[in-house]
Amino acid sequence: MRPNAWVGLVAIVFGTIYGFQAMSLPKAPIGNPMSPIYFPLGLGVLMVLFGAISFAVEARKGLNSDDKSKRPQFHIKNMKLIFIVIALCLLYTAMFDRLGFVISTIIFLMAMLFFINGLNKTVQNAIITLCFSFGMWYIFVRIFQISLPSSPLGIF
Amino acid sequence: MGDMLGHLMNGFAVAMTPYNVLWLVLGSALGTVLGMLPGLGPTTGIALLLPLTFTMPATTALIAMAAIYYGAMFGGSRSSILLNVPGDGAAVASCFDGYPMAQNGRAEAALAISAIASFIGGLIATVAFVLIALPMARFALKFGPPEYFVLMIFALAATAAISKAALLKGLISMVFGLMLTTVGLDYQSGTARFTFGIDELQGGIDFVIVIIGVFGIGEVFENLEHIAREIARPVQTKFGRIWITMEDWKRCFWPMIRQTPIGFVIGILPGAGGTIAALMSYNNEKQLSKHPDEFGKGAIEGLAAPEAANNACSVGAMIPMLTLGVPGSGTTAIMLGALLILGLQPGPLLFEQHPDIAWGIIASMFLGNVVCAVINIPLAGLLVRVLSVPGKILYPLIVAVAFLGVYTINFASMDFILLTILGFVGYLMKKFKIPSAPLILASVVGAMMEQTYRQSMMLSDGTFGIFFASPICIVLWLLAAGSIAWPFISEARAARKGAA
Repeated sequence: MRPNAWVGLVAIVFGTIYGFQAMSLPKAPIGNPMSPIYFPLGLGVLMVLFGAISFAVEARKGLNSDDKSKRPQFHIKNMKLIFIVIALCLLYTAMFDRLGFVISTIIFLMAMLFFINGLNKTVQNAIITLCFSFGMWYIFVRIFQISLPSSPLGIF
Repeated sequence: MGDMLGHLMNGFAVAMTPYNVLWLVLGSALGTVLGMLPGLGPTTGIALLLPLTFTMPATTALIAMAAIYYGAMFGGSRSSILLNVPGDGAAVASCFDGYPMAQNGRAEAALAISAIASFIGGLIATVAFVLIALPMARFALKFGPPEYFVLMIFALAATAAISKAALLKGLISMVFGLMLTTVGLDYQSGTARFTFGIDELQGGIDFVIVIIGVFGIGEVFENLEHIAREIARPVQTKFGRIWITMEDWKRCFWPMIRQTPIGFVIGILPGAGGTIAALMSYNNEKQLSKHPDEFGKGAIEGLAAPEAANNACSVGAMIPMLTLGVPGSGTTAIMLGALLILGLQPGPLLFEQHPDIAWGIIASMFLGNVVCAVINIPLAGLLVRVLSVPGKILYPLIVAVAFLGVYTINFASMDFILLTILGFVGYLMKKFKIPSAPLILASVVGAMMEQTYRQSMMLSDGTFGIFFASPICIVLWLLAAGSIAWPFISEARAARKGAA
């Protein structure tokens, strides 16, 4: 299917779900009870409308009549790094408050550099990671006085 | 005129305190470096550096942000000239003649003229800004909630309707951005909307997370796809004297002066932005030139014209943001958001209630232009070394900076999950060529838009006629309709020209 038809279809589905969710929102206890609902409901309707027009325009051209080589490509091989980074981001979220900024950032950045920059550049990766983690900690905590989570050891 | 000069002098007094000057210089340097990096550009750059400004006084924060913005506009052309890869969209036109100049052994002249043209464009535009800002702010005092609501519709419509091909996708992106702003507690009624029982969502989705996610992380994800095939880019880092000859100056002077007003006016209009300003001025200059055949082969005026226009455009874009409180581009939307975070309501009252801040920023535009020129001409050789940092190192660092920046907004690591999800959404949007500027703009003005909508409905007892009641509203509706129709009109005109 044409990429823009996909966009239209996703907009229709998303707009419909959002619109129904908007209709079931709790009513306002004061003032016009529908006032928190009108704006989101209007957005849901607009999303479905724009999605439907987009889909209809593409359907008129022929849903499969486009140049297939120009469609967005999603190859697992190419997307491997993206999924790894997403997994590392989630791991970072889990570690951040528990291990503190410095330790969790060292693990996070080192792991990202390991996968992206390569295993054979361990020394370079380690230097970058340590400089960044301690440098940012110093700038934010010491210079800007912004508090970042500290490690269970109490330092950094 | 007299009070304007008085305000401006006070503005200089505010902007020239040592602390503000320090941030002006640091912001310009950081902006130049970020603007240079292909794919990052001013919008992502400002979004990434935004959290740095949270601890600063309001004036300093805005001066720093404006400096980052101008620095990024100055820096954007460096990679166009040296690598043929624009740092951001506005620097695309600088590739056309900048890169051939560098290939012909004239990199020094190209770097110098791009900085000089940016300086001249920015300076003239700032003078125009000073003349327009106060009358515009006074006019905007006539705006009530219905006028503001329609003004925001115009700004959003103009941003979404940049091209005919992406019009519907632009509108979908805009509605999605508005939807994001409806998440959280509704402050007028106390109702929780779209929080799905998650306490962390009650405060809403901060627009900074949306911007950093969609622009910054989305960009990194897209680059990770082909990073394995990344080849090291050889960058020229040794230069002779970075300056131009008298002959070059004579060729560039009028193109710079001619294209600056065009860039400035395009900047004021919502949606159009630096890319259109630069491309339009390049084409204009090519048509006016005595030797158009040299364009694309290293004509120095072909570099000077778009550089002057895109810097003038970035100054013009600050006008609606500062005087009306409604931004016309992704970058100024972030700056508006920053003002809101600092507890300031941008718009006409900013000039009345906080003249020190409003005029301090304007004065800092003059100073910022000087600082950026000083940084970009003698230090060009040093700064372009950043371009030789490989993406394999750069992208992990950008991700880490993005996470750190997002944490400092709410001090909640749960925001990391939102950031990751929005990053993936940004990646998909890039893959499907859905413009992200309408989403960004909508995520910043969405809450304000709903508020003005509800205020208007309260004023009118629920009738929609209030949105068509005043002449200002009608003009704004016509402008909104015109901006949606414009891509179709311009295509039809081009087709007719082609047929003739």
